[in-house]
Order: sequence, then C-alpha cells, then structure tokens
Amino acid sequence: MSKAMSMDFLRPMTWAEALAAKAADPEARPILGGTDVMVELNFDRSRPSALLDLTAIPELAEWELRDGVVRLGAGVPYSRIITELGDLLPGLAIASRTVGSPQIRNRATVGGNLGSASPAGDAHPALLAAGAEVEVESVRGVRIIAVDEFFLGPKRSALQPGELIRAIGIPVTGGPQQFSKIGTRNAMVIAVCSFGIALHPAQRRVGTGIGSAAPTPLRAHAAEEFLGAELDWDGPLDRAVANRFGELVAAAASPIDDVRGTAAYRRHALSVLARRTLTWSWEEYRCV
Amino acid sequence: MTTVDMRYTGSALDRVEGLEKVTGRARYAFENFPADLVYAVPVQAAIARGEIRAVDVDAVLEHPGVIAAIWYGNAPRLVPSDNADLAVFQSRRVAYRGQYIAVVVAETYEEAKEAARLLRVEYAAEDHDVRLRADHPNMYRPEKVNPNYPTDTEHGDPDTALTVAPVLVDATYSTPAEHNNPMEPHATVAEWDGDALTLYDSTQGASGVRDTVAPLFGVPPANVRVISPHVGGGFGSKGGPSPYVIIAALAARHVGRPVKLAVTRQQMFAVTGYRTPTIQRVRLGANADGRLTAIVHDAFEQSSTITEFAEQTTTPTRIMYAAPHRRTTHRLVRLDVPTPSWMRAPGECPGMFALESAMDELAIACQIDPVELRIRNEPDADPESGLPFSSRNLVACLREGARRFGWADRDPAPGVRRRDRLLIGTGVAASTYPVYRRPSQATAQAHRDGRFTVRIAAADIGTGARTVLTQIAADTLRTSPDQVLVEIGDSALPAASLAGGSMGTASWGTAVVRACEALVEGLDRRDGDLPAAGMESSADTTEEIGAQRRLSRHAFGAQFAEVGVDTDTGETRVLRLLGVFAAGRIINPKTARSQFIGGMTMGLSMALFEESIMDLEFGDYLNRDLAQYHVAACADVRDIEALWVEEDDPHLNPMGTKGIGEIGIVGTAAAVANAVHHATGVRIRDLPIRLDKLMR
Ligand SMILES: Cc1cc2nc3c(=O)[nH]c(=O)nc-3n(C[C@H](O)[C@H](O)[C@H](O)COP(=O)(O)OP(=O)(O)OC[C@H]3O[C@@H](n4cnc5c(N)ncnc54)[C@H](O)[C@@H]3O)c2cc1C
Repeated sequence: MSKAMSMDFLRPMTWAEALAAKAADPEARPILGGTDVMVELNFDRSRPSALLDLTAIPELAEWELRDGVVRLGAGVPYSRIITELGDLLPGLAIASRTVGSPQIRNRATVGGNLGSASPAGDAHPALLAAGAEVEVESVRGVRIIAVDEFFLGPKRSALQPGELIRAIGIPVTGGPQQFSKIGTRNAMVIAVCSFGIALHPAQRRVGTGIGSAAPTPLRAHAAEEFLGAELDWDGPLDRAVANRFGELVAAAASPIDDVRGTAAYRRHALSVLARRTLTWSWEEYRCV
Repeated sequence: MTTVDMRYTGSALDRVEGLEKVTGRARYAFENFPADLVYAVPVQAAIARGEIRAVDVDAVLEHPGVIAAIWYGNAPRLVPSDNADLAVFQSRRVAYRGQYIAVVVAETYEEAKEAARLLRVEYAAEDHDVRLRADHPNMYRPEKVNPNYPTDTEHGDPDTALTVAPVLVDATYSTPAEHNNPMEPHATVAEWDGDALTLYDSTQGASGVRDTVAPLFGVPPANVRVISPHVGGGFGSKGGPSPYVIIAALAARHVGRPVKLAVTRQQMFAVTGYRTPTIQRVRLGANADGRLTAIVHDAFEQSSTITEFAEQTTTPTRIMYAAPHRRTTHRLVRLDVPTPSWMRAPGECPGMFALESAMDELAIACQIDPVELRIRNEPDADPESGLPFSSRNLVACLREGARRFGWADRDPAPGVRRRDRLLIGTGVAASTYPVYRRPSQATAQAHRDGRFTVRIAAADIGTGARTVLTQIAADTLRTSPDQVLVEIGDSALPAASLAGGSMGTASWGTAVVRACEALVEGLDRRDGDLPAAGMESSADTTEEIGAQRRLSRHAFGAQFAEVGVDTDTGETRVLRLLGVFAAGRIINPKTARSQFIGGMTMGLSMALFEESIMDLEFGDYLNRDLAQYHVAACADVRDIEALWVEEDDPHLNPMGTKGIGEIGIVGTAAAVANAVHHATGVRIRDLPIRLDKLMR
C-alpha cells in the first residue's frame, strides 16, 4: 500500500506519552472530540501522518478551581461545561449551549475549538472576554499564552511544533457574563457573527470578544477602554454609553461578505449584540 | 363506484416496517454486498462547458486496487435514447460543472476514491453562461411543461383588463435554486448475470427504473430487476434513474463484477436534480371590492443545455381564483447548469409563493382581509377548463384555519405589534395540489393459514405507503392488517407507477383494492375452500383509470403562519404554523400528519433558509453540504400543526383519497413571507428571507 494511503493511529494513555509522541512526529494530528478532525479527513482536506488520540488521558477531561481560576482540561466536552460550570463560567456555558447539536456538544471540546482556531469558534469570544490563558506544553516545557495572543490568522494559532493544548485557565470574574450569536437558523449553525462580554467588577473592567467578524476572534480594545473610562459602576447604564460601546465594537471588526451574511450586516449586528449583552449584564450586575 | 368499507382505513396504524427500521434491520441500497463486489467512484467535470481532450487512464491503473477507469474514450456505447443526461460517457462534451465524466472502479471504496481524485483530465474549456435572468436573449417557449401541461394559456383579454382595473398589483418574485436533501443519499449496487441486470437502488419507482435502464443496455425490461424495499427519502430526486445508476450498471458490465456506487452529499448538488430558480411576474387586476378581473402570471426558469426540464410554475394559477381575463406563461433558457428536476411539488410550490404573495399585496391594496379576499374569488368551476371540480373545499380550509388560528380580530396594520424585541405578524396563504392517478397492477394471494400477500411494485420512500396499502388491503379482504403482508419495492412485482406527483396511494391503492376484490369474489365463489397452493387474483387499472370522468381534481389547503422578527437583527422565527387541508379521505392520520407537517417544515425551510448559490465564476453551486446549505433544524420548528376537513369525494378512487405528499409545502413560504410583511412592513419578494434582506 502506498504511503499516501496509510495513517498511524496513536493512543497514548498518559500526558507524558502524548508529548513524546507529538515530539517524535510533529505532524501527528491531535484528536479530541473529532468533530473538526473527522470532517477534515472525510472531505480529504488534510492527510496527517498519524492521528494522536488524546481521549484516553484522564486529566484532559477534568477541571479544577484554584485561586479564582478554573483550569479546564482541553478535553472537557461542552455538555459538561453546561452542566458543571454554569455558575463559575457563565459566559462560556452560554456559548457552549449554542454549539451544534446535543450530539456535537457531547463530544466537542474547548481544546478542539482552540486547536482549530476558526474565527467562528463559539468558545473564543467568551474566553477573550474572561481573559483566559491557554496552557500549552511540549517536551520542551510549558508555555502560557494569553488567549488574545493565541489566534494569529484564520485557522492559525500560536501553537508551535510539538505543542499540545493541556488546559485553559479561565479566571472566575465573579461578575455577569453574556454571549450572543447570530445564525441564519436556530441551531446547528456557524455564527454569522457573535459577541461575548464579561464584567470584571473587582477590576472595574469589561472584557469583550468578537467572533466571525474578522480573520481571527479578537477583543474590542477601544470599546473596553471606553467603558473603563465611562462606566459608572454604581449607577444605571447610560444609554448613550451603551450605544457608543456598540459602535466601537462594530468598528473593531473587519468583516467580509460571504454566503452567511454581508459585511455591512455583520457590523450592524455586532453593534446590536454588544449593546444588548452589555445591557443584560448590567441589569444582572445591578440586581445582585 | 365501489368504495372500501372502512375499518382499518382511517385508523392510526403504526408503520408496519417501523420495528425493522428502528432496529437497523431494514436494508437500504448501499447495504447490499454481493460476492466479488467492487466500488465505483465517479469523477466530476471541473469545467462548466467545453470538451474533454484526454483522460490519463493508464496512470491510475497503476494505483493499488484499481480495476478500471472509464470515460468517453473507452466506455462501451449505450443505445441512444432521448434522455441526454443518461447517455453517460457517450460524448466528449461537458454540459455543466460537476457532470459525471468518468468513473474509477477499484477493490475498495478508498482505493477508488483516491484514484478518482488523482485521475488527470485534460479539458478544452469554453466560456460558460450560468446566470438566469428574465431578459436573457435565449429565453424561449418550451413545447410543454412538466409533466405534460400546455406552456401558455390565455382567456379573455388580460392586457386590456389590467389597464382598466381599478386596483392593480404588479410585482416580480423570485425563488432560488434549491436542492433535495433526503436523509439517504442516492446509491446503487449493480450486478450482471449474463444479459440480466440486478440493481439494488434507492428509487421512488422500481418499475420506471427498469423500463428506462433496460433499453440503454439493449436488453428487454424483463432482464432487469430493480430492488428497493426501503428508501430514506426522495422528494422527487429519486423519481427516475439519475446518471449514477447507468454508470454503476455500465461499470459492472465493463469489469464483469458487481459494482457499488454511492453518490456523496456534495455530488448531489450537481447530479441528482434540483428545483430550478424562478423569476415570476404576477399581475392582478381587481375591482375595489377585491374581485379579480385579470390574472397574469409569467415564469422564467432555467434548464441545462442537454435536457429540457420545464417546471410547471404557473399551473396552480390556472385553477386557483375566478377572473374572466387571464394568462399564464412559461419561458425557459438553457444554461451551462445541471439539469433541474422534480423537487417536492415542482411548479405548485414556487408558483404559489408568487401568486399567494401577490394575493396578500392585493388584500392590502383593497383593504380587505386576506382570508376574505380569497373567499371572494372562489370560482364555481375550474376557471380555465370550465370543468366542474370533483370537490373543492378551499373555503372550508380557510374558515377552519382562521377559527383555529385565532385570525378573527387581526389588525391588518403592518409593523405595529411588539413583544419584547420582536415584531409579530401573521400571514395566510392558500395551498393546492392536483390529484393524479396512474395505471398500476397488483396481485392478492390467499394462503391456507388465513393470511394474505399483496404484491405491487410500489415504493415507500418514508411516506408510510406500505402501511396504508396494508390497511386498504385488510379492509378490502375483510381481515385485519396483521393478516396481510404487502410486498413492494421490487420491479419483479406487478408493475406500478412511481412514488411521485402525490399519486402513490391513489394509483397503487386502486390496484390493490381491485386485486383484493377479485380475490374475495373468488374465495366467496369457492365458499372459502382453498386449494393447497392458495389462490391468487390480479388487477390492472389501465382501463378503469382511462375511463374516468373528466373533472377538475385538486386538493386544497390553507396555511397560517405567525412570525417574530427581531427588530434589530432581522432574525426571523416562525412561532406558529398551522395547515388545514382538504384532501379527500385520510387513510392513516398518523402517517398523514407526518406528510403534512413534513411538507410544511420544508416550506418553512424554503421561506427562511434554502438557497443554492451559483458561483458565477466557476459555474457550480457553492454551498454543497448541510453545513452550508441550510435546511430547517428542529429548533426552527416550534409549533406546527396540520389538520384536515372532512371531504367526501366520490369521483376519485375506491378509497376516496387525494394525494397528501406535496400539498404541505405549497403556500407555506408565502404564508411566512406574508407574516413577515405584517410584522415588519417589509415585503420580501426574493426568497429566502435572509436576515440581511430585512435590515437593508
Ligand atoms: C455538525 C457540527 C456542528 C458544529 N457546530 C459548531 C458550533 O456551533 N460552534 C462551534 O464553535 N463549532 C462547531 N463545530 C465545530 C467543532 O465542533 C468545534 O470546533 C469543537 O470545539 C471542536 O472540538 P473537538 O474536541 O471535536 O476537536 P477535534 O476535532 O478533535 O480537534 C479540532 C482541532 O484541534 C486540534 N486539537 C485537538 N486537541 C488538541 C490539543 N489537545 N492540542 C492541540 N491541538 C488539538 C486537532 O488536531 C484539530 O486541528 C461543529 C462541528 C460539527 C461537525
């Protein structure tokens, strides 16, 4: 059989073995839920030399809370984030609920979402807004990458050869978080655009994340700075502030026209999502 | 006309093959593995128009497992027929991008797929033209429209009537190309034994496939057997053999082994037909009281350069409303596109989107309630042929629907009802579908143990056909359904019409009733004393159907929709959908409801999502999978209900049924679009109702 048609299947039982395997064959393709990998293989978009199945490694499927940070194993599926982490990571849990279908949520993971680094990945805006960090590791050691430095281009991330995603460190902000996504249908849909927001009351700061409206997921820095300066944390939300926030979020995006929607529509919708999620978060913040 | 005594017809019998299906025992075409099986993977043209210069067959034969690569240059010649799409590998010409131009056969699917990917094809490409427009210089008037309707009709003087009409609606609507996506993609396994061919195929009509395939290979139909006991949906796309069936048979003959060929989801967007895009101009002239004086409906459509398929888009307009002056036309342009074909309610479905949207616009222009407007224009007889209707209960459907839906106090003002962030609106549209019936044959056999077997080459494509035929047979045989085995889905059984045109139950049911009646008579004559071999009777309904009285036979319905449109984002959700139908006698309320709400769901999907986007540069459809070609998901269908009014029509068939497979999709998209207008004040005349269209 020709080389082009064979592929190894590696199933390390420990994290150390996984790192060693990845070091030995940097082209080996990690697989967690497989909901992106299997589609790619099926469509013959890539032909990895090996599949590196990480699902047998117990710690990847675990999460722990330490010092106000949830260390989320790369292999925890969305369905468990929804049931187990709704209180600690409300933004990510809301985003998780919008992913695919129950079957997809049972298999798909945040580690895989990051591994694919699609601009439309639904976990990304929530991770950006919360100020998460990606913990990656190779036989050379561990690196911690701030999530807003993780995405380099469409489907390109800061992962270096031999590195695997071990976990995602997500601060528990103790404030309201929201996520909102526009899709052409009500489920099983790639976002036309999406937006995540997290209030960090202790720091008097608001975090943001934009999805599906630029070559990478990204923060709306100017919008965050604007709120940092203008928000009255002890009073009601000023409508003008919310509107301006929406405009600044829209301005941060660089959307394109495609089959899912026009660039103009995306910009408009982003400003709506930003204004809306800020308003919801603020109402919740004022009630507690 | 004799009618069946109803005991089991009318009852909600569970699907007789339900257990087989949910336990995975039901065998579909792809799941057949004759000995020595090999796999075929077809190759699609990478240009939209031109010629194939050369195919490097020798290079792929070097690859592991590859047995053959077949194209025009080395393919066996087929017997010429008038179906150019089926003349696979018989010419160098490429008619559209994605057309099957070669096939690779190998020991395994993976080997065939890999070799097909590597097969080098040299083309001489020519400029292509794939864009439908109403003013295309090559628009022409086809001889007839599908299946056999006059292309144009005219009565009175519509042009003058429109000029003098006190109220005029003149609007152009468009619907995009749409693709059938049955759960089970098309597949076939072809096996030759000398000059006899067996096809395990996923088809809506085993007899039809046999009759079409046999002559292409120069063998008598009796030499071809098509086996298709279970089919995972078709919606028209499995109505006749598509090119893949011929390729499988040709390849099997060429390599001398059984060949399996499965069409992939992506390939389906080029090779198994689709609904033509349409551009439709509707002009309605009316008096101030809403009474129509003139109806003009002009449709523009596309077909491929090799096959003329002219969809009957404006035919429902010929029967819907009274008006002395009227005209309907169809114009077609042949482009470098795949051949369109049947998709659930071809003609009626896009045509009624335009007509029923225009009726809504007229209701607003006349300030008349849209339900009342339709009732006011109810004809006494078929408005064009003058024939009496065998039964027509559109008004009953509209009234019953309005009552159930809570239509009575509807404020017609658009854009004024808010619920939180949503603008709320309601809309109505009428629905219709013709009643067809085709000759079929059936046999009924009595066994010594009191059981019966009924045989007919019918097809159950998920509709419940096997179940309703069991009910019909049980009643005619004066026994219970568990004593009756209905065998279908095999061309070796008595020949039957296809599962299409919503005519299955009417056509097959008539044959089953006649065969069973003959058997009962025979049994009665013998006083129930059966010979050891049992006893069999048969029926052929050709004469009965040929002698049927000329009447205008149609089913009717009314669709009601409530939508909520997000004021800021344009996201549209259908909050409620209600369909009320008058479709003769309903044989099985459970399977019938599934047919109705299935059709309505497709109509919702058409209204909001479905759109095959033509890539003008490359000349093929861009969104070729279910991630990009959106059909409604469960979460989009919130509250859907289908009801029917009692309809006793003695002029149909022994069961008193009209077809119910397609009417559910007809009118739904208009009801939704009309509701969106009521909600927002924005009239969307070009489907689908995408979010960005509402925000522009
Ligand atoms: C039907 C369907 C619907 C979908 N709907 C959505 C949706 O609504 N929203 C959304 O965001 N996505 C959606 N997706 C895409 C997919 O489910 C998500 O991207 C998911 O998060 C991927 O996770 P996974 O565990 O399945 O990843 P996998 O497919 O296993 O891997 C994805 C990528 O990450 C790499 N990878 C995996 N683990 C690691 C690791 N530990 N270290 C480094 N790289 C790694 C893989 O090599 C691969 O490149 C959908 C997919 C399908 C098939």
